[in-house]
Amino acid sequence: MTEVARIDQGDAFLRTEDLCKAFPSGNGTLTLFRDLNLTVRRGEMVAIVGESGSGKSTLLHMLAGLDRPSAGAVYFGSTLLGKLTAGQAAAFRNREIGYVWQMHYLLPEFTALENAAMPLLARNMPKNQAFAAAARLLDEVGLGQRASHRAGELSGGEQQRVAFARALVAGPGLLLADEPTGSLDASTADSVFRLLTQLHTAHQLTSILVTHNLDLARRCDRTLRLRDGQLQQIPVAGMQPDQTPPESTADTGTSNVQSSCVRVQAPGPA
Amino acid sequence: MRFELFIASRYLRARRRQALVGVITAISVVGVAAGVAALIIALAITNGMRRDLQQRLLGSTAHVELMRTAADGITHWRSLTQRLRSLPHVTAAAPAIYGQGLISRGARSGGALIKGILPAQERTVSSLLNNIREGSAADLAPSTNAGTLPPLVLGSDLAAQVGAEVGSTVLVTSPQGELTPFGLVPKYQRFRVAGIFHSGFYQYDSSFALARLADVQHLFSEPDVVSVISFKIDDLYRAAAVGREIEAAAGPGFMTTNWMEQNQELFRALRLEQVATFIIIGLIVCVAALNILIALTMMVMEKTRDIAVMMSYGVLPSQIRRIFLYQGLLISVIGTAIGLAVGYSAAWVGGHYRFIHLSAQVYSLDYLPFAPRWQDGAIVAAVALLVSLAATLYPSSSSAGILPAEALRYE
Repeated sequence: MTEVARIDQGDAFLRTEDLCKAFPSGNGTLTLFRDLNLTVRRGEMVAIVGESGSGKSTLLHMLAGLDRPSAGAVYFGSTLLGKLTAGQAAAFRNREIGYVWQMHYLLPEFTALENAAMPLLARNMPKNQAFAAAARLLDEVGLGQRASHRAGELSGGEQQRVAFARALVAGPGLLLADEPTGSLDASTADSVFRLLTQLHTAHQLTSILVTHNLDLARRCDRTLRLRDGQLQQIPVAGMQPDQTPPESTADTGTSNVQSSCVRVQAPGPA
Repeated sequence: MRFELFIASRYLRARRRQALVGVITAISVVGVAAGVAALIIALAITNGMRRDLQQRLLGSTAHVELMRTAADGITHWRSLTQRLRSLPHVTAAAPAIYGQGLISRGARSGGALIKGILPAQERTVSSLLNNIREGSAADLAPSTNAGTLPPLVLGSDLAAQVGAEVGSTVLVTSPQGELTPFGLVPKYQRFRVAGIFHSGFYQYDSSFALARLADVQHLFSEPDVVSVISFKIDDLYRAAAVGREIEAAAGPGFMTTNWMEQNQELFRALRLEQVATFIIIGLIVCVAALNILIALTMMVMEKTRDIAVMMSYGVLPSQIRRIFLYQGLLISVIGTAIGLAVGYSAAWVGGHYRFIHLSAQVYSLDYLPFAPRWQDGAIVAAVALLVSLAATLYPSSSSAGILPAEALRYE
């Protein structure tokens, strides 16, 4: 068991326990990560870096309950995500998790206001209440004047701001951001990241950010590298894009051998 | 529920990334509308056909007819008619004598069923005398115009066939001839065409001739007997039961038939035609439902990423399913509403203006009747919605089965 973030579990907001993910591949099994343990404290902003294909996005999907781990478990406080029924998991996501992707993934048929209000509308909250809450969030991300514009009428940076508004409108405690600045130019990326940190503080969020941008990663509380199926903490000072951290615990993330991933069948999440 | 309808209605209105989906959606709406409109119109026609045929038939024929089982004629018909007229449910009764004859005028002739009647009583059981198009039926009253040729009222098609007009003299030949020293010779009698009726029911207009009861008795060398006593009753659909009561009251040796028995093959054929029409035209709705299935399946494919994103912020699979279910139903409801409006409008216009003409010789009616019924609309709408609902089941359930991580992994 490799404990990267050695934090007292009683203080943990989010915790994974021996998380494994393997895919069938050809005649064998492609193991993306094995016995992965991550503990994140309430209010922390954690960056996860890693090469393309290392499993960063898959890890975020599993943290959100959008994907099933092959083995292991994800805990929110004392809630085991895998124990929730599909309906409970959906309600949990709606209430507790905000998700932002590299591509904004706004619904093109709807206005910025409607997109931002979607998580509340999905709860069947009355439209006027949902739109009022969404309008407040759009004001907060600086797009109050563009509320009636459709997604396609907004710039990339603006679309990402709407995506942040949508992620936070339901008042979640956890924000998962999958390369939120990946498709933006440097200047816009910087302003979007500043917005993210502002929102993180203002909404008292716990945030996990997947990024290729080490400059942005440095500005987080902790930076972890996902490599060979394991998370390794990177020291903030002197971090270089391709540097292998000294405390790296090298392991074969990709193998054709039966790993501990098949030991436990995780309870099915949503 | 509101959320699903909100998304579904917007998806339906929005311009699409894939134009083909929009085209197929539009075709689905038009298809459902066309199917529903066609069904409403077709059912209005078959219903109108049945209604008009029934009306004309019942106008021209009695509800119940009493006759001798041995076909030997009813001798005490005056007292019997009087007695049976007072039975429960009987509203009118009239005696008549029937005989087959040949009506000719010059070289032209036609077979006819010649009915001898008492006009005052006949009017109470049949409307043939009310449909006189030319001339008058007044001369058919008993013992008028003694010394002149007896009057005859012909059906319009029969009159046209023999080339007779009001005032023409026609020769009626009875097959029941007279025995003479030269053997059996047919009996001839000249009649004067007093009127021409047009019931609109080809069977009557082409083969019926009405004459005075006594003249027909004389023509067929019959004593003072009648063939049938015809009855009108207060409830058309109790004809069989009332017929049995009349039979019982008339005593042994009598039998009755009623309008349903006499025309059951016609009405059975009309009913079959209606069912067949419903099934055949209903296939249009099935084709439209197939379009709904294709449109929704393509839309689910187009929206896979959006569905995954919606699931990420807590939209339930059951909500996703309902979004596409409602979308299919919206297509169906819009199509059905348009179809009902078009169908009922067309049926009303067709029924009001009677602009489609038919050959009376083929269809018994000389125009295409429309009789739209609201019950048909309710059934058609229910069928259209159910078929469309069935078409949405696969795409909507496949939408709910999308795995968000899989859908987003390759984006």
